[in-house]
Amino acid sequence: MGVLGLLVGRYLIGLRRRTHVAAVSAISFGAMGLGAAALVLTLALLEGFQSTIRKQLAASGVHAELRPRSGSTLPAGEWLQRLRARHPDLEVRSVSGGSVWCITSQGAQPAELEAVDTVSRVEVNRVLAARLGVGTGFDIIVASPHLTLTPLGPLPRRRHLRIDAVTPVQPGEGRAVLTVPGAVGRTLLDGAAARCVRLRAHEPDQAWAVASRVQGDVPEGVEVVSFAELNRPLLAALALERVMIGFGVALVMIVAALNLLCNLALLAAEKRADVAVLAACGLAPAQVRRLFLLLGLGVGALGAALGTTFGIATAFVLDRSQILRLPPGVFIVSHVPFRVTPSAVAVVVGVSLVAALLASLAPARAAARRDVLEGLRYE
Amino acid sequence: MSEAVVSARGLCKRYGEGERCVEVLRGLDFEVARGEMVAVVGPSGVGKSTLLHLLGLLDRPDAGALELFGTDVAVLTVEERAAWRNRRIGFVFQFHAMLSEFSLEENVAMPLFIRGSARREALAHACGLVSAVSLGHRLGHYPDELSGGEQQRAAVARALAGEPELLLADEPTGNLDAAAAADVFCLLCEMHLSRSLTSVIVTHNEALAARCDRVVRLAGVAHVG
Repeated sequence: MGVLGLLVGRYLIGLRRRTHVAAVSAISFGAMGLGAAALVLTLALLEGFQSTIRKQLAASGVHAELRPRSGSTLPAGEWLQRLRARHPDLEVRSVSGGSVWCITSQGAQPAELEAVDTVSRVEVNRVLAARLGVGTGFDIIVASPHLTLTPLGPLPRRRHLRIDAVTPVQPGEGRAVLTVPGAVGRTLLDGAAARCVRLRAHEPDQAWAVASRVQGDVPEGVEVVSFAELNRPLLAALALERVMIGFGVALVMIVAALNLLCNLALLAAEKRADVAVLAACGLAPAQVRRLFLLLGLGVGALGAALGTTFGIATAFVLDRSQILRLPPGVFIVSHVPFRVTPSAVAVVVGVSLVAALLASLAPARAAARRDVLEGLRYE
Repeated sequence: MSEAVVSARGLCKRYGEGERCVEVLRGLDFEVARGEMVAVVGPSGVGKSTLLHLLGLLDRPDAGALELFGTDVAVLTVEERAAWRNRRIGFVFQFHAMLSEFSLEENVAMPLFIRGSARREALAHACGLVSAVSLGHRLGHYPDELSGGEQQRAAVARALAGEPELLLADEPTGNLDAAAAADVFCLLCEMHLSRSLTSVIVTHNEALAARCDRVVRLAGVAHVG
């Protein structure tokens, strides 16, 4: 251990001999620790909620979508059968569709009709169910813009359907969707060709990889839209939320760093006689500067370590104990979730150290530039 | 005459600017031969400590030439000046200037720590010096557990830890009672002889100064501005 390590260690520990400096140092140390803990808890809370949302998204949504690069329908051919054969773990839904009206005794609502080959029942999503005021077992009339010639003249094509299920919507989803078996859809839509293919992995955590897996198995005229691209607005909003809230809470670290700056300035003034003696013993100004930088970093590192540990432990206990309950039916989870990630810990430690380093620069420079003789006179 | 360790020609030093400018040294010539023990005496404010700070490379003269060990110190970089203070010059200050967070032996070993010596070797060397200044029974004690005389003895030991050629003492007995002052001065004389040092001692004590090889009296200069 070099002389700077010896001095830093002794000053950090030995401050007990100077009560007021020790008290101010303890406050600095505590402020850095609390800042780090606050940042860890905030990031854990955000990650807890956001990972829940992402899981929900992956569990209920589409993992990749195949769309025509031009036109409104996918190219015909055997490629879809080959895709199904090569990826048996994927649920492949060929979707044709268009706009329809859903009519009940309460009134009529526009909806998007999706005719899916692999679906054998009639489903409405929650948006449409809410607008129509219906649920499972209700009967509705679906009217298509395509006309059928009748003795009374051309009339909209209509089907009476019973709702078999109400499906959940993805977070942020506002579309009113009616999903019907492919055959039903073709009668309503006059045999429309598939306009997209929706892919889902059986395991939700595979959602992010589906697009890359099928990329080589589709013809040139088909565009593969990944899970991230399908949900880009929501994921971007979540990322922005994390950055902005993280930045806001990181301001606590700046306040703690300013406190550290004041403490180091006080310590540098308190120790100017020591610095003068050390200079007389041969300590160079550059070493004096490094000494105070290391002192600041020492307080920052110890505070960050303690605060981060405290934050991780608190997040773990709060998550496991599920002590912070949420009103049922309002949120998709029953308690406030906390999830600490290694990257969040790295961010907190990094921010703490950078804040401590920046806070130490000015006092360190001032201590190195201070007149040695002034320090000797001070003694 | 033997080789000059200190050779100063026309040293000038002033503090402050404008109307508040105080000229402390003006055109001072000063020389100390190797092995010589020189006492610098004079009234307060005459520039004794300033001279010592210039000789100890803690300050720079405004004018004049200063050579230490045959080298013009004006050419030394900041780092070289620090290295010289660590290896070639030892300081004893009026106030004991001990580091309160460090034990007696650590205080004495500090120049060696700064030099980069191994901790064990540095402490062993410091132990020898602490014993040499009759403080062996105080090893491990902290400065606030030592008397003024003991602290000054420790300061002498620390000044010698780096095996310097030049010892500079700024009123080393100024803060001590008569008995302790005589005791510390004896120690300085003893170390000067046993270690073949070149010593410059600033003091107000004429009796102690008279025990040095030579006494230099500084007279004040007019205030300027």
